[in-house]
Amino acid sequence: MSTAMNFSSKTFRPRAPDKGAFPLDHFGECKAFKDTFMHCLRVNSFDNSKCRLQSKDYLECRMDNQLMAREPLEKLGFKDIMDEPSSEKPESKSSGQ
Amino acid sequence: MLLPAILRECCSKHGLQVATSARSCIRTHSWRELHSIPGASLLRREGRSGPLHSFTDAFLLRRAPPPRLHLQSRGAKTRKSHKQAQEEDWRRRNKTVLTYIAAAGVGMIGISYAAVPLYRLYCQATGLGGTAVAGHDTEQVANMTPVKERVIKVTFNADVHASMQWNFRPQQTEIYVVPGETALAFYRAFNPTDKPVIGISTYNVVPFDAGQYFNKIQCFCFEEQRLNPKEEVDMPVFFYIDPEFDLDPRMARVDTITLSYTFFEAKEGQTLPVPGYS
Repeated sequence: MSTAMNFSSKTFRPRAPDKGAFPLDHFGECKAFKDTFMHCLRVNSFDNSKCRLQSKDYLECRMDNQLMAREPLEKLGFKDIMDEPSSEKPESKSSGQ
Repeated sequence: MLLPAILRECCSKHGLQVATSARSCIRTHSWRELHSIPGASLLRREGRSGPLHSFTDAFLLRRAPPPRLHLQSRGAKTRKSHKQAQEEDWRRRNKTVLTYIAAAGVGMIGISYAAVPLYRLYCQATGLGGTAVAGHDTEQVANMTPVKERVIKVTFNADVHASMQWNFRPQQTEIYVVPGETALAFYRAFNPTDKPVIGISTYNVVPFDAGQYFNKIQCFCFEEQRLNPKEEVDMPVFFYIDPEFDLDPRMARVDTITLSYTFFEAKEGQTLPVPGYS
């Protein structure tokens, strides 16, 4: 926690995550999705907006493998790239959603 | 309180000119007598007949109101009684003042007790001291819209406690996000020892003020994570920055937020305090 040398000045209070902790991926079941995501980030100079699709894929992999509680994707902030027939994929990618 | 009334009776009944000392007045009547029927014995001396059953009777049979004491102020003895009446008055006023002071003291103690929950409410409402701003709800994730004009660089830092032997590092040094958009980041941990090690982590956000806008949807902190010998895992952090970040004037010049994780070894019987204001 924050070192308590600062009396009366602001201290940082950590907050618990909303949905708890990720269980560890001991068997590397979603490693491939993670690698795709990291590659996308490096290519796009670490701009998160351009790699949201890959992050969505990674989270879906986690949900499929019981590594994450299943949630509707809107709750995870992926409302804009949820409907994806393959025709919408390039559209969402290019608009930088 | 009885004394001035009795004095007045004594002096009025015994006449203006007679310089009877107040003490002799009192002495002639025993206290018990005076206590039971205050006016009765005095009136009896005047030759009134009939027993008086109550103080009311005595009061009603009194003829005239006693003359004011200040008319007798010439006499030395009457001055003394006047002074005693004045002392009585002072005593009464002192008592009132003391009552007020005591009430104020009790009020202060009560206010200091009430201040604790009131201050907590105030801190939550204003977000002072880095406390979580009340009203942070998970439903907003579904409805928030990204603020595309405000790009924020989030840098990642990884630390390990001195006695903890994991290799713990972020897989990207920085990420550019906008408020209102969920983002994913990865850390990697490797256990080089030959024994399973259980770690538990906590995090820190710099600058402190921005910490209240930094919301983690899911991460790997505050829960024990076990790594087998020679095992390496990827640890994701799924977070977003509250869109209200853009509206806060205090955050107008904040362009970089640093997220720092620290891993400790979890020992038996030792728990990392889970965050929460309680």
